[in-house]
Amino acid sequence: MGFKINRVSIVYRSGNPGQSMGALSDITTIARWEVRRTLTQMSRDTLPLAIVLFVLLILVTGFAAQSGMHLQDGMYVVGVDDGAIARLIASDNRFSVYQLDRQTLEQNALSFDLIVIEGKVYGSATERGKSALKTVERDYAKYTNLVYNRQDDLYAAYPLWIDIESVKSELNFLATQSGQYISARPDPVAPVPEGEIRNVPLPSPTLAISKEELRKELTKSEAANSQISRYTEMLSSDTAMGRFKTPSQLSPPLPFDSIILIFVFIFPLYFTSQFFMMSIMNERIERKGEVLLSTPVKASSIIIGKALPYLLGMLAISAGLAVYLRASPLILLPLVPVIFFFLANALLIGMVSRSFKELSFISIFFSTVATSYLFFPSIFANVHVISLISPLTLIILTLQGTAYTLTDYLFSTSLFWLTSAVLFYVAVRNFNEERLFSEKGLLIRIREFVADSLSEKHPFVSLFLLNGFSIPFVFMIQMMCLVIFFNLPMPYSLILLIIFAAEIEEFTKSVGIYTLYVQNPGFFSWKNLVLASAATAVGFLVGEKLLLLVTLAQITESVFGSVLFLSLGVLWLPLLLHFTGVFVVACSLKIGGRKWFVPGLLAATAIHCLYNLYFILGWLT
Amino acid sequence: MKGRHLSIIIKKEFRGLFNERTILLAVLLQLFIAMFSSFLMVGLTSMYDPSSLSKYSRFKYIVAYCGNDSALRGYLEKSTDFNVYGMELSPAVAALRERKLAAVIYVPDTAPDAVEPVKITLYSLQNDLQSAIVNVKLKDIFLKYEKDLRQVRSLRLSEQPVPLQIPASRGGGDFYEFVYGLLIPLLLFMPAIIASALVIDLITEEYQHETLETLMSTPVTFAEMVWGKVLACELLIPIQAGAWLLLLLINGIAIANVPLILLQVTLTSLVPILIGTLTALHYRERTAAQFIFSTALVVVILFVLALPANPLNLITRLAVGTAGMEQWIVLAGVIAIGALLSVATQKYAEKIGREHHTS
Repeated sequence: MGFKINRVSIVYRSGNPGQSMGALSDITTIARWEVRRTLTQMSRDTLPLAIVLFVLLILVTGFAAQSGMHLQDGMYVVGVDDGAIARLIASDNRFSVYQLDRQTLEQNALSFDLIVIEGKVYGSATERGKSALKTVERDYAKYTNLVYNRQDDLYAAYPLWIDIESVKSELNFLATQSGQYISARPDPVAPVPEGEIRNVPLPSPTLAISKEELRKELTKSEAANSQISRYTEMLSSDTAMGRFKTPSQLSPPLPFDSIILIFVFIFPLYFTSQFFMMSIMNERIERKGEVLLSTPVKASSIIIGKALPYLLGMLAISAGLAVYLRASPLILLPLVPVIFFFLANALLIGMVSRSFKELSFISIFFSTVATSYLFFPSIFANVHVISLISPLTLIILTLQGTAYTLTDYLFSTSLFWLTSAVLFYVAVRNFNEERLFSEKGLLIRIREFVADSLSEKHPFVSLFLLNGFSIPFVFMIQMMCLVIFFNLPMPYSLILLIIFAAEIEEFTKSVGIYTLYVQNPGFFSWKNLVLASAATAVGFLVGEKLLLLVTLAQITESVFGSVLFLSLGVLWLPLLLHFTGVFVVACSLKIGGRKWFVPGLLAATAIHCLYNLYFILGWLT
Repeated sequence: MKGRHLSIIIKKEFRGLFNERTILLAVLLQLFIAMFSSFLMVGLTSMYDPSSLSKYSRFKYIVAYCGNDSALRGYLEKSTDFNVYGMELSPAVAALRERKLAAVIYVPDTAPDAVEPVKITLYSLQNDLQSAIVNVKLKDIFLKYEKDLRQVRSLRLSEQPVPLQIPASRGGGDFYEFVYGLLIPLLLFMPAIIASALVIDLITEEYQHETLETLMSTPVTFAEMVWGKVLACELLIPIQAGAWLLLLLINGIAIANVPLILLQVTLTSLVPILIGTLTALHYRERTAAQFIFSTALVVVILFVLALPANPLNLITRLAVGTAGMEQWIVLAGVIAIGALLSVATQKYAEKIGREHHTS
């Protein structure tokens, strides 16, 4: 009952004209109350159990570190005729090893994935057999390294060292994007550079590190079988070996490092935003938040006040993690927009869900999608520029000690900043009794949310702004599609991308029109219909070009970019396309009513696709 | 406990799920992840095992060879992956910058049997998927050269490793361990996690929306209500896990012992669901219950994974077809834990039911 009294005291304080600090004091009061309420709720009987669980977690982590992960135990069956080799293979839990004599092995070869006879490995032709062979190969390489690392004459064991010099190419983004390969034709003559030849000094023939330092590093990576130690190794990137590698170490960095890294940073954020989500939802249960809404406190102050403790908490957790990992504080820069993005979505999810299970499902769905968006591109952190669409890539780069530019920062975070701002705005506009306590279905509620963000007095300006601000979301989804289709073979990925991009754009443009139509079908006279379509098209185009200018400067800087995005001569073409698309949808709504919305949308998508196909194909040929 | 009462509750919960279309979200989620797992298959696993990358390009890359002659040049020229040109270092690097070359290799004047190691400098393009492929292909050639050099210097080694002759892999088997040893067990136990979160929602909702009183005024007892919710969530397990198996099979991933896997997953999932139920009955408030439950779940999963022959490992073994008699022992253990938790749930629910009656 304690919190009910607190609630009344807020009403009293914020209603007090003597305390005219206004919004700022409202925000701090609400923030303080939010913290107190959470703490009283937590301390009752959650905290003791939470502490017990935390202690258990530490114990279990210790146990797991000692015993190892037993997920893949006994996947393969191996028969061996020699004790030493059997012990060698059996040291990997993935193998169930049977030591039998040669004759038995040969007779029962089919029931094994691998058999080893007189030091020769024979693999079965099944997928499992091939995989077992690869695993044995890797295990054996590790074992030989172990033996070689003990050698006194290290340079007899490791006679070859490779020093990788990275060279920055001027064309890198577009060259791989448009499927253009690194030089193609086999020529009888060596290629001749066209541009200026800068003098490259001949590399020194000796390693710049002493033998004992190398041995130290080699034994360190020998212990690094578990994923966790590999991860800590990456963090201390200033290892003595630096860029010198033996041939077997020559491969792109494994993604496990980034997987663990990302979960270390994202999981606490996800967890904290759950609490925020729940706090918003709690205000709505049984109209508990009615008191708060009936005070003269502005909706924006309530929202900011409620979000503030979680925002500070998330920042504190991230900063703590950065300190713990001894990473540079710069790591927080790309995390801030991600935190805002999580909070904005948590707020909206808390506002639209009707029940706990809906809340759970939407939040699981959101976190899966968001984590994929953040996580998948960053796998390619060291490999491809596409990785930059995720802010987490910047974190990985910071940890590695690689510098990134302001353009990179804008490119990967601007969508997060913009979408969070728009979502917060929508939430503030809708933070009222009517929306919070309604029991309508999810889609209807989302439509109402959009409707409230439109102004009735200036419908065309609203449509213009709505479409302009929807661009970051469109880009986000399109980037997601790009990531998903990135791996498909070339023609399919392009075709799927064209279809999905068209569908997403047409759908987004139709949202405003559809909402206006449902609210007031009488509004759509033919004149208004044309005007509304025009406002939508212009808003969409302006938003698109503005954002491209900011974020994709990497592309727009190049020759191709200026052709694609900037020349004003071609600007009327996309405008016409956007207008036609949304006009088709609007007409089908006017003529056929709401039933015709989906067919209209499909027709618009088809037009959009044809345009893109013509444009791209024409451009290619 | 009456079967009719249970089925009333189960039906009620399913109706709720369908009315809110949350079930639609669950299906969407599953499809989304399925879509991403195809991405995972190619993208992630090619990174997981970079040597599989090189199979995606049947392509002759042009490399420049600078500096002193060596056996390495011979290997490069014999390779079907490369065209080699002898060049001066500076123009070669300039050509690389213009993408007219895939890589530049500089070899110094170090004798194969020298005391010092041979240090090769490899110039490659930064941040490029193709240069990653080129590096993977070069790795094989460097390995051959390393073997030669090691042979030349072998008398200086004090110990030789136990010899094992491994045939050159004929390709394939790259995704196997990832799919069967990670993806399948994780995907099949995801429904259990969703279902246990759901049972907490269903129970705390009755408390927080104050609908419990109405429900208690019907002939349905409190324990029956709890078990109805548990069973509703449990029913979702074989459906969702079955859908996963079907999606995987459609994707061309052969899975052995499908019925046994479903049996194991369904029975094992009862354990987290009952833990969720007990947490929800104790806290009667969603935030606290979900928080405690998810923390507990992390502890339990971590502990279970550290045990040999755990249920997740068993799914892997069943799916690849190497599970033996031990699966029945594990199953018996799981059933025993489930039974213990069931008794606890029943006792707790009866106790709460009595409290409701007296108040």
